[in-house]
Amino acid sequence: MTNIDSAEMAATDTLFPVPASQATPSVPSPSLRKRLHIPKPSVIFASAWLIVLTALTFLATFAPGLVPFIRDYDAKVKVNGHAKAYGYGPGWTAWFGTGKSSEDIFARCIYGAKMTLIIGIGATLFGLIIGSIIGVVSGYFRGWTDRIGSIITDCLLSIPPLLLALILILRLDDLKSVYTWMGWITRPWQITFTLGLVAVAPFARIVRAQTLTLREREFVTAARSLGASRSRIIFRELLPNLVPAMVTVAFTGLGILIAAEAGLAFLGLGVERPATWGKMIDIARDDIERAWWATTFPCLMLFFTVLSFNLLGDELARRFDIREAAV
Amino acid sequence: MSNVTQAATRDIQGPLLELVDVKTHFHTERGIVRAVDGVSFTLDRGKALGIVGESGSGKTILSRSIMGLLPIRGTDRTGSIKFAGREIGSFGRKEMRAVWGKEMAMIFQDPMTSLNPLMKVGDQIAEPLRIHLGMGKTDAVATARKLLQDVRIPEPDRRLEQYPHELSGGMRQRVMIAIAMACGPTVLFADEPTTALDVTVQAQILDLLGEQRSDRNMSIVLVTHDLGVVAGHTDEIAVMYGGKLVEKASTKRLFASMRMPYTEALLASIPKMADASHTRLNVIPGRPPDLVNPPKGCRFAPRCPYARDKCLTDEPALTVTPDDPTHSFACWFPVGSPEYHESRARIDKEAAA
Amino acid sequence: MRYLAQRLGRFLIVFFIVTFGLMVLMRLGMNQPGDPARTMLGGTVTDQQIADVTARYHLDAPLIVQYGYWLKGMLTLDMGVSVQQNLAVSTYIGGRVLVTLFLGVYALLLALFVSIPVAVYQAYKRDSFGDKALSVASFAFVAIPPIVMGVLLILIFVRYLHWFPRTGDKIYPWDSPTQHFRNFALPVLALALPVGAVFSRLLRGDMVRTLQADFITLASAKGVSTQRILWRHGLRNSLFSLITSIGLQLAGIVGGAIVVEQLFNMKGMGTLLVSSILSKDLFVVQALAAIIVFSVVLVNLAVDISYAIVDPRIRHMRALS
Repeated sequence: MTNIDSAEMAATDTLFPVPASQATPSVPSPSLRKRLHIPKPSVIFASAWLIVLTALTFLATFAPGLVPFIRDYDAKVKVNGHAKAYGYGPGWTAWFGTGKSSEDIFARCIYGAKMTLIIGIGATLFGLIIGSIIGVVSGYFRGWTDRIGSIITDCLLSIPPLLLALILILRLDDLKSVYTWMGWITRPWQITFTLGLVAVAPFARIVRAQTLTLREREFVTAARSLGASRSRIIFRELLPNLVPAMVTVAFTGLGILIAAEAGLAFLGLGVERPATWGKMIDIARDDIERAWWATTFPCLMLFFTVLSFNLLGDELARRFDIREAAV
Repeated sequence: MSNVTQAATRDIQGPLLELVDVKTHFHTERGIVRAVDGVSFTLDRGKALGIVGESGSGKTILSRSIMGLLPIRGTDRTGSIKFAGREIGSFGRKEMRAVWGKEMAMIFQDPMTSLNPLMKVGDQIAEPLRIHLGMGKTDAVATARKLLQDVRIPEPDRRLEQYPHELSGGMRQRVMIAIAMACGPTVLFADEPTTALDVTVQAQILDLLGEQRSDRNMSIVLVTHDLGVVAGHTDEIAVMYGGKLVEKASTKRLFASMRMPYTEALLASIPKMADASHTRLNVIPGRPPDLVNPPKGCRFAPRCPYARDKCLTDEPALTVTPDDPTHSFACWFPVGSPEYHESRARIDKEAAA
Repeated sequence: MRYLAQRLGRFLIVFFIVTFGLMVLMRLGMNQPGDPARTMLGGTVTDQQIADVTARYHLDAPLIVQYGYWLKGMLTLDMGVSVQQNLAVSTYIGGRVLVTLFLGVYALLLALFVSIPVAVYQAYKRDSFGDKALSVASFAFVAIPPIVMGVLLILIFVRYLHWFPRTGDKIYPWDSPTQHFRNFALPVLALALPVGAVFSRLLRGDMVRTLQADFITLASAKGVSTQRILWRHGLRNSLFSLITSIGLQLAGIVGGAIVVEQLFNMKGMGTLLVSSILSKDLFVVQALAAIIVFSVVLVNLAVDISYAIVDPRIRHMRALS
């Protein structure tokens, strides 16, 4: 995304930009906020949300008993001693209310968050590693390697993610019944692998683009003239400079992958236990009228998480000056 | 005469352009930038005025201020600007749009970025014709063709259908001139028109401008940092420094007997053919003044080799030379004054030592 | 021209690889000779039936060969048979494809119709309150996946306001325009909003950058009106990211369409795809997948060509290369 810092261009109008040399003849002194390196409110919010979320998932995984407000996954929140479907709306007893089987929705959201984050991060790492390899190799060696790499990327890009996911997941299910040794490939793995495949193409593209630019820079020529081997150049010179791009795509990509995972879960292809947000929405959607909280809170969790990753990804893109039309 | 040149032959009594104490201030984060801080002059019909100065002197902002091509937000423009007797200083955008392109035109420094890369050259020339003169498509194309011929572009029919990137730098600048001339304006502002061009092309463009001026009896305001450009192509020169007008005289007189030390330094900094090779370039030490907090007193004083105490505290007003009413300058101890000679002697002695 | 041939070649290669790959995926694990037929027929079948089907559709030939047969069939629009429904696939999926086509095209058009004026306005009134508010809104919309959007819309418009029906039966615009509109309104909206938000953010960025250029100032100095500057000079020169984005978003639109169709119970390609993958109706899956991949790649090809149309500089560069 372009980043015209509005504060610094306070004197410009859209149709009549003043030549920069005239409007700010010397180095402008940065605003107070910048001088203290305080990030924007949106970035603060996004980071806070993600930190809190991660902290909660950690607590839920490793110290379940320690935190009273994160109930057990199947615990039933009883109303007057009976387990009642949708017994509680959001309130003190159950922060996000209770669901169809009297489960605590807040707790479920946290457990779901754990699974979603694990899948998301796993898929991103998969895409990052494979995609970067393809990207660097394509960009650095060019020629035929580049053509093959580009074709691979094009192929991946032309398959709608959901289509790929549908086929892969369902077929893997079948294959598991045929080849029992594949039993270890549980749903989470299937989803991670599928989403990882989807993530390969964006990484490959941007890493390739960056590599193409970087390889022409002086420091690469310098290294080459010193007799550095190709792999040394790649690992020592190129890779460190590719990190900003990779990190940016990772964050923005995470947002998209999480949304994709929710979509899959909604369609019934998600992880069964713990149910991720998409699945929670699916379960509760018929009872929207009766218990709006059962659908709304998972929706909100999903929204804010995706939003946070997007915000951070955007901010990173701004910092590292990466322009990518769409991940 | 075609209706295009009619505009340029309109009879105008009195000076074409009259500026009185024009100031343009920008509100920025750092404070108020006084880009143009009280400039006054007049320009007559058919005359060429050169506005010279370093970058940051305010010369570009001045020409834009006169045209009114300034941002709305955060800009204060004060002072009186009279164009052909009409006070345009108070005109809003809407009123100025009728003037822009029709009576006042501007050409910019970089023809590559100043032309719409995705629009055919012919369409870009035809645009003002259709807007201001209400021409239909065929008329506009015919006129555009003639304009291209006027600016001496060969094969005009072919060029009309081309895009800017298919033309050379010099040709693009000619196209810009053609666009500016389209509706026959009475004054043309040329903002560093030759800076982005090869030296050989520069002369051609300047000559072309001169031709258009005499053919159409049009005034030209030539804004540049290059004294060589104004030397042969202007009637008068105004020197700007730090947002202020510091000297104004007819071209001949300025080069022959300038008064302001800054002007002297500018002239001295031009490398001369007669100098031996490896002659050190004369530079003006220091940097342009900060326009947010300009120096008290004369703005050039911090860098002036002849500056005295008075120069640092009191700002000199524009005074007219006794022997030539058209020559004005702002300096306490101008070139030729006894104090000047004193300082000069001192400097020369130090240099010899 | 040579460039065009290159792109076309690439297009075909990708298409072949992807469709072949999907075919292989669908057949994975069906190692026994009778497996494909058995899976397709489902239920209790006799050996004779299996043998029949296997022979008729060459299901025992090597995969490459089968692919060849399939390709040949596609060229003559014979997409095989939905063995379960015992219908020729081509007749069977026609209506479904149409529904999804409507959905996708409407969504894309709506996204463009909304995002372009919004972005132009934002670029013109940069940093005004309106601009900032719209930026926040579009950022939020980007983060809302189509499912969430769909659920929200149902909640508001179907449950509370009762403006729109819950299910979407197949009603064509020539049957009953109003009903067609009512059925499609919410699903299209659910799809269009996130996509439109992406478009408007990209376009705003590009336009803000374009409006900084010198030729815009020159246009003003020529006396050109603000409107004309914004649309003819500004927008025209800022379309690149938008066009690229259309191509890239398409895969997402298709995916979103599948989800939205499920949510709104529409009889489109998406729902059919899901059910046929589940029931392993191989030919149907292959045909649908082929159509989807074909459209995505075609649109991307169109995007690539349109660069040359929009920007004469690219046209000339390509002519030279």
